[in-house]
Amino acid sequence: MNKLLIFFCLAIISSVSFSQTTVKLPEVDKSTMDISYYPNNYPILKIQNKVTEPLAMRVIYSRPLKQGRKIFGELVEYGKVWRLGANEATEIEFFKDVKINGKKITKGRYTLYALINETSWTLILNKDTDIWGAFKYDAKKDVVRVDLPVENITESIEAMSMVFEKSATGANLIIAWEQVKITLPISL
Amino acid sequence: MKKFILISGIVISLMGCNQEEKKPVTTVTPGKKDTATVASIPGSHYTVPDLSPLDIIYYPSDYPLKKMSGNVTAGPLARIIYSRPQTQKRNIFGALVKYNEPWRLGANESTEIEFFSAATIQNKTIKPGRYILYCIPQETKWTLVLNANLYSWGLKQDRQKDLMQFEIPVEKNNTVTEYFTMAFEGNEKNAELIILWDLVKIRLPIKFQK
Repeated sequence: MNKLLIFFCLAIISSVSFSQTTVKLPEVDKSTMDISYYPNNYPILKIQNKVTEPLAMRVIYSRPLKQGRKIFGELVEYGKVWRLGANEATEIEFFKDVKINGKKITKGRYTLYALINETSWTLILNKDTDIWGAFKYDAKKDVVRVDLPVENITESIEAMSMVFEKSATGANLIIAWEQVKITLPISL
Repeated sequence: MKKFILISGIVISLMGCNQEEKKPVTTVTPGKKDTATVASIPGSHYTVPDLSPLDIIYYPSDYPLKKMSGNVTAGPLARIIYSRPQTQKRNIFGALVKYNEPWRLGANESTEIEFFSAATIQNKTIKPGRYILYCIPQETKWTLVLNANLYSWGLKQDRQKDLMQFEIPVEKNNTVTEYFTMAFEGNEKNAELIILWDLVKIRLPIKFQK
């Protein structure tokens, strides 16, 4: 089933007619976009009237697949700023003021980049939103940087994943791909 | 490209054979996506990518790419975040998507539309901000509804939060659009939101004021 899903992600729509319309239709990307919320699954809880705390944040990112490749240190090079996914740079939005690394972050939309190395990553919150990749990354627009240790996990994650988990002071943003896991603490 | 089409064809036919649920899923399990085909990685809380992947469109089209290339100075005017189900050989309108019932315009979460500047649709003024967009399809026309119930899963609409609605005639295409598709086209302040799926095409003209 997993294989089928991967194949499906690879498949490009062949049946969309380009002659019917003048607009170039967006194809489905093989690195599909996804969204994670904190509280987790907030939209489902909301329609079930099961919300116990307000929406605090969400992250919108694209999910590249490992596809047998060596990711960290090769496909994603050490010492370079990475968009933390594929396509558009990863967007994180806070619906209330939060604290990261002791610094107050005003609610709003930000871009989240990562400068990766073998044993640690620097996550970078940057003010320049709605942008493709990390090609025009501008350090002058940084809001905060956090150094985080790399945790090596035994399970190999095929699709780059982000998920929030509850913590004592708020929530952690977990980032996992290949056998690497990063935990970003966010105080709410 | 031929190989892609071949793979895509094979996969689509495989999906057709493997298709266990022919009816739209109407129940929601807490903490799970409502597409039954979505599975977690065994022993892990990380999900695999959804069968109806999320996608994002901007107006001006491809805004993030244009920004990267230095081709824009102003901010974007609008963007839509939506999920993209596929026909998988099913009958869509009047069957999977029922006539006269609200439909989330996609899959999973409600479709989100954000106006970064004030806009006019059918002589109604829309303030900058974020909304959800759903539709009530009929055979020859759709009613598109702008609603304030943000960050909600798309299976239940809160009609009391409806803000405005627009009636749009349905155009018929000759060929099937496999993936539910939204696109902006247009010229500067005059945009059109194009919605395509199966044999149906909808155009919603949007005029931006700034």
